[in-house]
Amino acid sequence: MKKTLVQAIVLLLLITGVYLLVSRVDWMKLFRIEKMSDALEKKVGDIVWEGMKEQSVEAGSEYNRVDSLVTALCKSNGINRKKIKVHIMGDNEVNAFAMPDNHLVVHTGLINAVKNNDELSGVLAHEIAHMELSHVMKKLLKQLGYTVLINLTTGEAGGEAIKQVLGMLSSTAYDRKLEKDADVKAVEYLKKTGISANGFADFLYRLGEKDGALGNLSWISTHPDSRERAKYIREEAK
Amino acid sequence: MASTFPYHPEEAEAEKASNSYLMSLVAIMVGFPLPIINLLATLLFYIANRKSGYFVRWHCTQALLSQFSLFIVNSTGFWWTVSVLVMEDEHVSNPYLAYIITVFVFNVLELAMTISAAIKTRKGMHVSWYFYGPLTQIMCKP
Repeated sequence: MKKTLVQAIVLLLLITGVYLLVSRVDWMKLFRIEKMSDALEKKVGDIVWEGMKEQSVEAGSEYNRVDSLVTALCKSNGINRKKIKVHIMGDNEVNAFAMPDNHLVVHTGLINAVKNNDELSGVLAHEIAHMELSHVMKKLLKQLGYTVLINLTTGEAGGEAIKQVLGMLSSTAYDRKLEKDADVKAVEYLKKTGISANGFADFLYRLGEKDGALGNLSWISTHPDSRERAKYIREEAK
Repeated sequence: MASTFPYHPEEAEAEKASNSYLMSLVAIMVGFPLPIINLLATLLFYIANRKSGYFVRWHCTQALLSQFSLFIVNSTGFWWTVSVLVMEDEHVSNPYLAYIITVFVFNVLELAMTISAAIKTRKGMHVSWYFYGPLTQIMCKP
């Protein structure tokens, strides 16, 4: 019995030892997984953006307003501003979303729905957090898989797949944990920029009340439980 | 490793004992990547032979015990892979790859040992593996 116990311990130590030894190798670098993922993200981002860029406005007061808020958030949080591409879509949809390769799309409906820059900064910080935490590609990979995304970049998937990706990014939610992670990160960004996160919470609370005056509330369908989120954002902001 | 057994098994016994190892090999081909299939195959073979001769029972038990521990290790890898594919906050990482590579190495080793044991027991030789042999000795009485 004692011999068996000793051998069991030795075997467990051997397995653990092999695992710890193998863990010392940077397999992600060795298999070039991160580089391949970055290249895939860039291609997917370019292709999807190509399909919607005609509707975007790249200048004007709304663009300048968003651009200056994004610049302030990036500057205070050590984020490379150049990598984020801001796009304004001219319609009344209350929506903003992040796309692969750091494309940040904001609808004028959202800009008109916010009461002040603090509220708008909250939404922007939340979307930047999704980008910085690599949520965008995680979501696409989970919901579509590598094969569809690679086919998209080679042109095999066709226009329908591009529409599917766009629809997924603009009108479906991330899972609850990722949304909360992005909210917490957004509060951190806002604090470092010297902006009160209460503005972001106020906006979410108004969305939670489904205020008809706000217009076409796409952002609420992609970001459920707005009141609950407003509560923990206020907590985080303290 | 080969060791002594209280008696030399007859041809039919040696064949059955060898088959207990072959069961897990066949199950690997059928069940991959579902780890439960290997365990089920060896468990069914063990149940079917629980009243056979001591040599057969002994080797069925050793094959079952080794498959049981492999099942735990492989199941962890299987469900980790499922979560990487399905959950948005889980992704391919260095710890995940290290675990899968470790599991792969131990599966290859176990495969080699199983083939060797199947060949040796078919010849009527007794094979007692490190840890699994002494454990089988405790569990399986003449």
